[in-house]
Amino acid sequence: MSSIFHGADRVPIPPRDAEQFTTVCSYCIVGCGYRVFKWPQGKEGGPLPAHNALQVDFTKQQPAQSGTWISPAMHSVVTDRDGARSHVVVLPDVGCVVNRGNHSLRGGTHGSVLYAPDRPTADRLSHPLLYRGGSQLPTTWQEAIELGAHVIKAALDKWGPDTVAMKCFDHGGGGGGFENNWAVGKFFFTGIGTQMASIHNRPAYNSEVFASADAGVAALPSAYVDAELADTVMLIGANSYETQSIYFLEHMLPNLTGVSLSKKRQLLPHEPHASGNMIIVDPRRTSTVAIAEAAAGKEHVLHLQIRNGTDMVLLNALSRLIYEQGWQDQTFIQERTSNFEAMQATNLTQDLGEAITLTGIPMEQMRQAAEWIAKPKAEAVRRRTLFLYEKGLIWGLKNYENVASVVDLALLTGNLGKPGAGCGRLGGHQEGYSRPDYPGKRPPVNVDEVAIKGGASKVFWVAGCNPAGGTLNAQQFRQALAQRTALVNQALDRASGGTMQERVAAVIDAMEQGGLFLLVQDIYPIETAKYAHVVLPAAQWGEMNLTSINGERRLRLYQKFMDPPGVAEPDWKIMAMMAQRLERLYRDTGEQDRAARFSGFNWHTDEDVFLAAAVGVKGAQEDYGETTYTMLKALGTNGVQTPVKRIEGGKPIGTVRLYEDSGRFRFIPAKWPGYPAPIKQLMKDQRYPFWVNNGRANHGWQTLYDDLRKPYVMGREPLPFVEIHPQDAMTLQITQGDLVELYNPYGSVTAMAVIVDSNRPGHVFMLFEHPKGWLNSLTTGYVDPATTIPYYKGTKAGMRRIDTLPEWQQRLTFIPTNQG
Amino acid sequence: MSDLSRRTFLKTGACAIGGLCAGGALPESVSGQQVAAHPTLSMTLPYPRLQLATVPQLARAGGLLVSYPDPASPVRLLKLGKTAVNGVGPERDIVAFSQLCSHMGGTLDFRPETGALHCPLHYALFDPAKGGLTVIGQATDNLPQIQLEVDPQGNIFAVGVLGLIYGRQANILG
Repeated sequence: MSSIFHGADRVPIPPRDAEQFTTVCSYCIVGCGYRVFKWPQGKEGGPLPAHNALQVDFTKQQPAQSGTWISPAMHSVVTDRDGARSHVVVLPDVGCVVNRGNHSLRGGTHGSVLYAPDRPTADRLSHPLLYRGGSQLPTTWQEAIELGAHVIKAALDKWGPDTVAMKCFDHGGGGGGFENNWAVGKFFFTGIGTQMASIHNRPAYNSEVFASADAGVAALPSAYVDAELADTVMLIGANSYETQSIYFLEHMLPNLTGVSLSKKRQLLPHEPHASGNMIIVDPRRTSTVAIAEAAAGKEHVLHLQIRNGTDMVLLNALSRLIYEQGWQDQTFIQERTSNFEAMQATNLTQDLGEAITLTGIPMEQMRQAAEWIAKPKAEAVRRRTLFLYEKGLIWGLKNYENVASVVDLALLTGNLGKPGAGCGRLGGHQEGYSRPDYPGKRPPVNVDEVAIKGGASKVFWVAGCNPAGGTLNAQQFRQALAQRTALVNQALDRASGGTMQERVAAVIDAMEQGGLFLLVQDIYPIETAKYAHVVLPAAQWGEMNLTSINGERRLRLYQKFMDPPGVAEPDWKIMAMMAQRLERLYRDTGEQDRAARFSGFNWHTDEDVFLAAAVGVKGAQEDYGETTYTMLKALGTNGVQTPVKRIEGGKPIGTVRLYEDSGRFRFIPAKWPGYPAPIKQLMKDQRYPFWVNNGRANHGWQTLYDDLRKPYVMGREPLPFVEIHPQDAMTLQITQGDLVELYNPYGSVTAMAVIVDSNRPGHVFMLFEHPKGWLNSLTTGYVDPATTIPYYKGTKAGMRRIDTLPEWQQRLTFIPTNQG
Repeated sequence: MSDLSRRTFLKTGACAIGGLCAGGALPESVSGQQVAAHPTLSMTLPYPRLQLATVPQLARAGGLLVSYPDPASPVRLLKLGKTAVNGVGPERDIVAFSQLCSHMGGTLDFRPETGALHCPLHYALFDPAKGGLTVIGQATDNLPQIQLEVDPQGNIFAVGVLGLIYGRQANILG
């Protein structure tokens, strides 16, 4: 047998009467549309068009890009709660304008991650678990909620709301959506009232783009068609071929190759057009750079290989160069912006010599970029530039000013509210945010430091995220979790066999001694759950109805097509169970005000929560107004782009792009602050010579929670990779596939060496999350004091070779991905 | 794949080298009434044993274009010059792969300078020395690999396929 994974050599054919559903990918921001077919096991459609649901002639070879090919990874056999076994196929939708039948390897492998008791997903959490007798043992919802509610109530009553901390998903797509987000927010903000809240991938309750909001620009202002219409697309801190794959392939590349020229001429007839240019700001030469070059020709792609942490220096230098040429949009600045002078005094005075030194980018390239962004393409015809940024900028040095500097550049050049222009996030997850207001202040409290490591909180509820590996400075975070949860374990061990009352008393006693009571709500037994006292099994995508928006605010209904495993429930329902129990406990003790805070969770359906959540998005880019599930169902995978302006004849009317008719903006000054103390300390220390950057890769999604169950993906990535420059590899005598250790005063981690000249020498890039090696063990605790957003992308470390692992050298590929 | 299926011969026995094959050699499509007996509905597919080439024919760097298990499935046969996963022949370096990208069916191009199979549609890369492992790209499976055998005379036979060939419900068309 081959040591290389290959799927089955046949898939079953959906019969004509297969049940059909529409949904959207559970993973990335792009939100490709999918069709789902479900039919009883033991039955199959016929190969002729009249005998199958796809109306395809399976007796013949299908042509390329047919849009009807079912790969083995798109299929599974699932078991519903009534025991019925069914085939399920999750097929990319040719009728969806986002993906047009295309798919990434993430979305295209959904079949592999549907719960099935005889597949790798068999380890899904199916029942609540309770710490008991030294292990986590299955229990009922009733007992798990009872213990949780009594402990939470005790913490609230004895020490106040801030002793209950949370770190929860806030996104759309799998596990999130407006429904689940609303319930989480209502529980923690209206019910508990805690400031010790943090969002799944960071230590606080903050926007990742506070500066953009302050400037008056929502995070997702443009539409995907704008990437087809732009004269220049500028990607900042994003590797879009790998991480927004279908946005890049279906909407950016057609512009670079000239395929979208006819659309440009049709929609923007009064100006000259050419195929687009692309500027990519990234410390690495990525596959995105190589593919853009291959598609457009090198002369149409400019890779600005920036040094770690200097984004705003570059962006300000570009603003200055544009302004000195007089290429700014004076009308836009005068009519639609304020605070120009403050920006002028900072951003536009960026010293250009310093910019070259700090960023490592030659002046010639900066001038070229400035031309592509703003040099008029004809007499009095402005160039249309679309600025798209993501984590390289957001999680770079000084989040607030980094984001401000790109928004300032867009405002300076008038690139908002018109076709082919915009300035927004590319995005990671989809969005589906609707919550009551966070009760804390800005900048928000650093929950990791204050509540968990610092001991200010005594209960910690983690939902839909895995901070034991994913948070910043993760090694020290894990140590705090281990030490503090162990105190509760020991107390529970002492109360072993006791009544509920006795166990609650033991937990309270341990919390008084610094113990942390941990609830983890997830779909899998993740690393963080190892420390938990209560584990709550959640439903995932496909097991409930949910709604979310993608990176162009496209709202759709993701239909339920199967049951969750065991007794797992949607997140909103878990929050409601806990809230209702707390409400009753407070009613029993006659505390009506407290009880009222936990009221209003008596929803019966997913749609009940969706309708309730509408109040939380009023006036925001997500505003869906009076939209209902029935309306969304009728709109299928194309849905409607929010904000929904009105409902006409039962159909929501949306908004293609923001700020076309209105919108006033504010320049936010941004000045490079230099490296913060913890980084400077590492820079001074010759034991840690390597700059360590990190990010996602094409084949895996976030913490790899699903990918660990995809043999295809894990066969390619048994360990996290670290990209090392050939010169550094030679110095350290590292060869392809070697196991190496990276270390610094914050922690240590192992990874598999991939030798490639993607980074500058002295700089390495590691996969950001992998349960066999958490990069964040190396990140410092530094956050931007203005936003509490970490500088995840920059730390320094030493590196040493451990040894060769011959099996990997044989089984894995080391062909470079960035050569085109 | 079972030994049974390897030994199963179809009428396509004559249509391998160079992809030249008379249409009449294909099995006729079955009618709707025969759905239950359709070969593509069986769990074990009846792979033919077909000669693709001889070892000396593989001198060229780009390999040979052949087809398997039928003429509608182009296959690239390569002699890589280094030991490959599932490689056959004296140097265990002869491998064959579906020519259709396992993402959306683009026709792959082998580039000796990268050692990879490249898809022109969405830029996927596959490593022929590693069993068709996806190097990068949006494919949902590694590239289907043709199982080969070489007899003592240097004749190369295809006997099966690992993974599902793009554009098919089953590797053996009905």
